[in-house]
Amino acid sequence: MVFTVDRELQSLPPEIAAKLSHLLKNLPSDAREPIVNHHFISKSFFEALGFLSNECIPDFKTGNGGDAVDYALRKNTEDDSFLHTKTSPYILVELKGRDINLEYGKGSYKTTVRQLKRYFLAPKCKSVQWGIITNSKHIQLFRKHGKTIFPATPCLEINPDNIVEITYQIRKKIEDTSRALTVAVYNNKGGVGKTTTVINLAATLTRQKKKVLVIDFDPNQHDLTDSLDIQPGEYKFYNCLKDKQNLFDIKQAICPYTKTFKGGITLSFDIIPVDDQLAKIGEDQIRQEISPHSLRKKLESLKYEYDYILIDAPPNWRYYSISAIYAADVVLIPIKPNDINSLRNTAITIQQYIPEIQQSRQEKTQGLEWGAIALPIFFNGGNITDAVKVRVKNAIAKIINQAKLENNFDLTSYFFSRYIPGKNTSIFEMPNSAYIANSAFDSIPASYRYKVAYDYYSQLAKEYFIQ
Amino acid sequence: MSNLSDVGNLMYLDLEIIESDIVPNTSEYLINATAQELSSTDGRNWIPLIVKEVAEDSYQVIGNNFIYSVAEAAGLEKVWCIIADNSETTAKLSRMLAREEVPRINLSTASTEDIKSALEYLIEQPNTPLKTIDILKATNRIDEAPRQYWQDLNPIINLKCGITRGKKVKALEKVFYLTPEAMPDEIKDPKVLNTLTTTELKKLAKKRGRSGYSKLTKAKLVNLLSQ
Repeated sequence: MVFTVDRELQSLPPEIAAKLSHLLKNLPSDAREPIVNHHFISKSFFEALGFLSNECIPDFKTGNGGDAVDYALRKNTEDDSFLHTKTSPYILVELKGRDINLEYGKGSYKTTVRQLKRYFLAPKCKSVQWGIITNSKHIQLFRKHGKTIFPATPCLEINPDNIVEITYQIRKKIEDTSRALTVAVYNNKGGVGKTTTVINLAATLTRQKKKVLVIDFDPNQHDLTDSLDIQPGEYKFYNCLKDKQNLFDIKQAICPYTKTFKGGITLSFDIIPVDDQLAKIGEDQIRQEISPHSLRKKLESLKYEYDYILIDAPPNWRYYSISAIYAADVVLIPIKPNDINSLRNTAITIQQYIPEIQQSRQEKTQGLEWGAIALPIFFNGGNITDAVKVRVKNAIAKIINQAKLENNFDLTSYFFSRYIPGKNTSIFEMPNSAYIANSAFDSIPASYRYKVAYDYYSQLAKEYFIQ
Repeated sequence: MSNLSDVGNLMYLDLEIIESDIVPNTSEYLINATAQELSSTDGRNWIPLIVKEVAEDSYQVIGNNFIYSVAEAAGLEKVWCIIADNSETTAKLSRMLAREEVPRINLSTASTEDIKSALEYLIEQPNTPLKTIDILKATNRIDEAPRQYWQDLNPIINLKCGITRGKKVKALEKVFYLTPEAMPDEIKDPKVLNTLTTTELKKLAKKRGRSGYSKLTKAKLVNLLSQ
């Protein structure tokens, strides 16, 4: 559902801003949930976010057992009143009292986030795009794109002095919802099948009627460009990246990849191929002309054009991969299960590299954006026997323990997507397939050519992206 | 519940007045060894039997039959029981909670994750005929098939995902049931039409007032009706 957006809004209307700040100031320091709700959230906060009272449904049933989220919000349209139809919610809000500590990393914070994620994936919440958790002392905004959930802001501390600005910033984000999810496919070890994953995911998502852009951002290998036999056009991606004055339109660097099937059906996705110029220029010179945030800025103009932007990042931690992850919302990490080193490298990526990027994104956005997060890993190919599985699980357990002891970093959810203490340690496995391996020479994505390959990648897409 | 009802209470009942008609599928060894452990302690079954009252002072086990067998083997005279209500849904749920019955999910509406985990469960069972099934392939093909219209599980055979006629498709009945939707008469999706038999397609053609369909093959019928 698309809503008309008042893009002219420069700040909250003064009377609404004054009320918001005043009500927050008057909340008792031990206010429990009903007080926070009655005297602040429903009285003023929703109004400040741009929602009328008949656009907010309390105790919204999510359709998952008896689950109900504190509030669901959605703008009314001419012939559809949210209060009456109770369909297509747009934002979910999970409220707490001030007795529940929502400071980032605390136990009660984690429980609340888990609760919100459960609501997000419930049957009646498919249309939801955003989620908010708050106890009137902290607030955090989450984005939901299909099945993918990631923090859109850090967990922010709020007080009567900053509430107006923070509410305004949140409102700006929810009124400007990006169509695209930007995914970097990365592992700092080579040969784990990154390029194959990108190509086949793109092809599979296209078969499911999604509009996809693929960026080959590995100039030293340009496997992706080669394997689909793409001839870059006149227009140079290098020129576009180094242009800081917005003189070049990135759309000119895009080449379509189209496949026509028997029966006349055509499927196509777009590619930004490698610019050979980039491979010739040394990294030192690149860094003189292009910033790590340049790619992200250039992609801004495409975020309403595509459903997915997939970036094939090179295996190292230098300019190209740093830019790719800086530009991404989420990072997808394929792993070869029989390679313990790639597991260790992944742990380093998740607890060291990605947080560096997050820190930099937070600094550059005055603490308003969280930066890319890693999705849970998946095993890419390699027929895994039960014996190997046990060894891998033990190795992962060791890595998780070490990270907890040495860095106080909890890696569990990055390895086990469905983790329940003591029980579910399953990891998504992409089976070995001769079809997929051999089609590297075909210049056609395996998931266009072989039904089995499509089935596999379709399951991968549903694991991470499609709800 | 009123004060006159025992439902919900923990009661210490004579084994004599409780009957259990399901013979639990458990090894003698587990029953006897557990019974020995129980007799060598204070003989109290800390995990209770779940029973319902069938008549005054007459009860029937609806969950935890294993404990009944153990109590019997240990020669207990009385056992601790929780009294449940008499409904069939309670009995069914109790059997599921005690893991004596496998719960089934509605394949007409199940999510792709639920289908995948149900297939994984089946494959992990000993002696399953589904050992060689490719989970991702089977899950995806079932997920993307027009299963909301399926009257039974047989269309799965045509998905070419390794689940063949006979005991393989039969094995799926253990975890799946269907609540089929009526197929709208105006349906044009060839994927859906292909799941119908030639006779059904001809009936549909007649309903839509087509002519000249009586000698067509299935492929041509699908083609005609998808226009």
